[in-house]
Amino acid sequence: MTTAGTRNVAQVLLKHEIEEFLYHEAELLDERRFAEWLELLTDDIRYWMPMRRNVKFGELEREFTREGQDINWFDEGKATLERRVSQILTGVHWAEEPLSRICHMVSNVQLLEASPSAEEAAEVALKCRFYIYRNRVETETDHLIGKREDTLRKENGGWKIAQRKIILDQNVLLAKNLTFFF
Amino acid sequence: MSNSHANGSHRANGHSIADMVDLASGTVSREIFVNEDIYAQEQEQLFARAWLFVGHESQIPKPGDFFVSCMGEESVILCRDRESQIHVFLNSCTHRGMKVCRYDEGNTPVFSCPYHGWSFATDGKLAGVPYFKDAYKGELDKSQWGLIEVPQLRNYKGTVWATWDKDAPSFEEYLGGYRTYLDFLLDTWDGAGGETEVFGGIEKWVIPCNWKFPSENFVGDRYHNISHRSVDLVGAGPSGSGRRDTQERVGATALDFSFPERGHGTISFLRPNDGPIPSYQHSKIVSDYFAHCENERRKNYGKWSRFIPGPGTVFPNFSYLPRQPRTIAVWHPRSPESHEAWRWFLVDKNAPAEVKEFLRKYYISYSGPAGLTEQDDMENWNYAHNASRGAIARRYPYNYQMGMGHDAPSFDADGLELPGLVRNVTVAKAAEQNQRGFYSRWADFLRASNWDELASWRNGHSNGAKFHNGAAARAGSAL
Amino acid sequence: MAEVINLITIAEGARISTINGATAEVVNNPKDGVWVFAKYLTSPEDPDLVGSEDMIFAQDIAEVLT
Repeated sequence: MTTAGTRNVAQVLLKHEIEEFLYHEAELLDERRFAEWLELLTDDIRYWMPMRRNVKFGELEREFTREGQDINWFDEGKATLERRVSQILTGVHWAEEPLSRICHMVSNVQLLEASPSAEEAAEVALKCRFYIYRNRVETETDHLIGKREDTLRKENGGWKIAQRKIILDQNVLLAKNLTFFF
Repeated sequence: MSNSHANGSHRANGHSIADMVDLASGTVSREIFVNEDIYAQEQEQLFARAWLFVGHESQIPKPGDFFVSCMGEESVILCRDRESQIHVFLNSCTHRGMKVCRYDEGNTPVFSCPYHGWSFATDGKLAGVPYFKDAYKGELDKSQWGLIEVPQLRNYKGTVWATWDKDAPSFEEYLGGYRTYLDFLLDTWDGAGGETEVFGGIEKWVIPCNWKFPSENFVGDRYHNISHRSVDLVGAGPSGSGRRDTQERVGATALDFSFPERGHGTISFLRPNDGPIPSYQHSKIVSDYFAHCENERRKNYGKWSRFIPGPGTVFPNFSYLPRQPRTIAVWHPRSPESHEAWRWFLVDKNAPAEVKEFLRKYYISYSGPAGLTEQDDMENWNYAHNASRGAIARRYPYNYQMGMGHDAPSFDADGLELPGLVRNVTVAKAAEQNQRGFYSRWADFLRASNWDELASWRNGHSNGAKFHNGAAARAGSAL
Repeated sequence: MAEVINLITIAEGARISTINGATAEVVNNPKDGVWVFAKYLTSPEDPDLVGSEDMIFAQDIAEVLT
């Protein structure tokens, strides 16, 4: 029998589990364990980062470039993400050689949906904020701040990322490149 | 700041232009990349005079459509008025200077200034003035205070270009023989002359280096392959390997084309007559489409179908890749040490949806800040600039001597009239003729007082007459 | 004096009054919050305006009538 109380407990536990997963993911990226990070992605992952336009009040539906139709900063699946990792791991990807020092901070985690239920969640939709600090070579520094909308799916008993929408709060990209992962 | 016209020796900040761009020795001073006074002169002498790319017609299909672009440092509005005429205006209110449009794109009947309220129609006319009767007594001559419009504009095959100089030659004259090469970017893949369009979403990002680094890279730098070692290792090409589908280059003659009297340059490959047709293995629809286009291309272009166009720069800051990925980039100066890169992605309007989708994905993964290929370029330009700023570094010029003083081997053009200084670099692999041509023209702009001096080809002094097979070196020109 | 009007919210076809006592019908709203295009219906101060279309500035609008 499920009571309101046990449902609340299940939600709190699920949220804790999801947050731990997101922190673990950030840890892998910041420790440059890219191959392990790739294992956290489902084979059919959609990784999408739109560009953002300045549009008039009332026309906000045109603010973001469209997934699957327009040019986006990222609009890709696992094969391209794997290629990005392979490129970094060649040791001659000059934009990441020497490797950047990167710190991912994830906060404001909100669980939007757990299906079929919080108790037996197999898929979870969430929103969060990110703050990515990058410092490379000597003084080159980037601060990338924005929102993420993730869908996580349970596979073989563990969580994996099935969808990631990255909303960077910038118009003209202030970083010279996007050689890292959000 | 000294003025370059203050005396006859053409000096910029105490540096002689002739010394800074020394074509006889094949060197270019680092000052022209890092010096603030020279940067300021570029804005006056170069960006205020040259033809600059503003945007693509397909971005503003309907009356009232606008796209905010840049010409050099200046914000401009590209828009289509109620009569469907295309205009380019300075994005600044004529009353007190406020930007009249802070949106990137959209549709509007008027551009209204949020400061005092002056409002301008899409043809630039001053349409609304608050308290016109009460405060101005109806005496303000509205016809004199419309938006500031470029004196010359040209819609060339869907690309919109403008110049702030009323005395600049026509856009076609500005291009000269280079037009032949630019057309390969702007015409449809099958050579039938149909329309192209740009994908939605213009990439804009900041690159911390002088704008001339990317311009000279695209003008014809075949030497920087090592920059792209990592992407060549992992493969990003349309068929999964390399950066591009380079099968079409097998057995081809590598040719560089420079237009030193105009500054433009490009590289290309001339395929053997029986050369392989490139294949796109991605899917049947995609490979069938490109096979069809190649067959049509052979019919439509005749002998020119052997010509595989490569990267190029239209002087000063319009660079492009004409094949795959098919993109336009403009390097907008922001300071000596920084520029904004803007990138448009072109596709044939009538290409099947699946082909457009295939190209869209390839373009994104190749180009721009997230592009596997260009990330490494930007790192190199960034730190080349960074290491050239010091007082000591500035004493030592960059070296552009590659190929100087040596004939290039002849080749069989099979009757093709190839405009510009043509250099066969098949064996040499690379030369710096095009970069020397680019900086030769840059120096012209900083020396010249007006377009009478800049349009040197009109005076019979053209150094862009037909030189073939390395004749540039023989002609005694440093190029 | 009427309260401050947000021009963005005025629908095309709406009738407005001006501080000069004229009335006009909004024919096009650029929704920039600064101007509307309107056709004069009445204009006691300047009867010649009736029937003509003009841009009307935010601070010249007294009231939205409909």
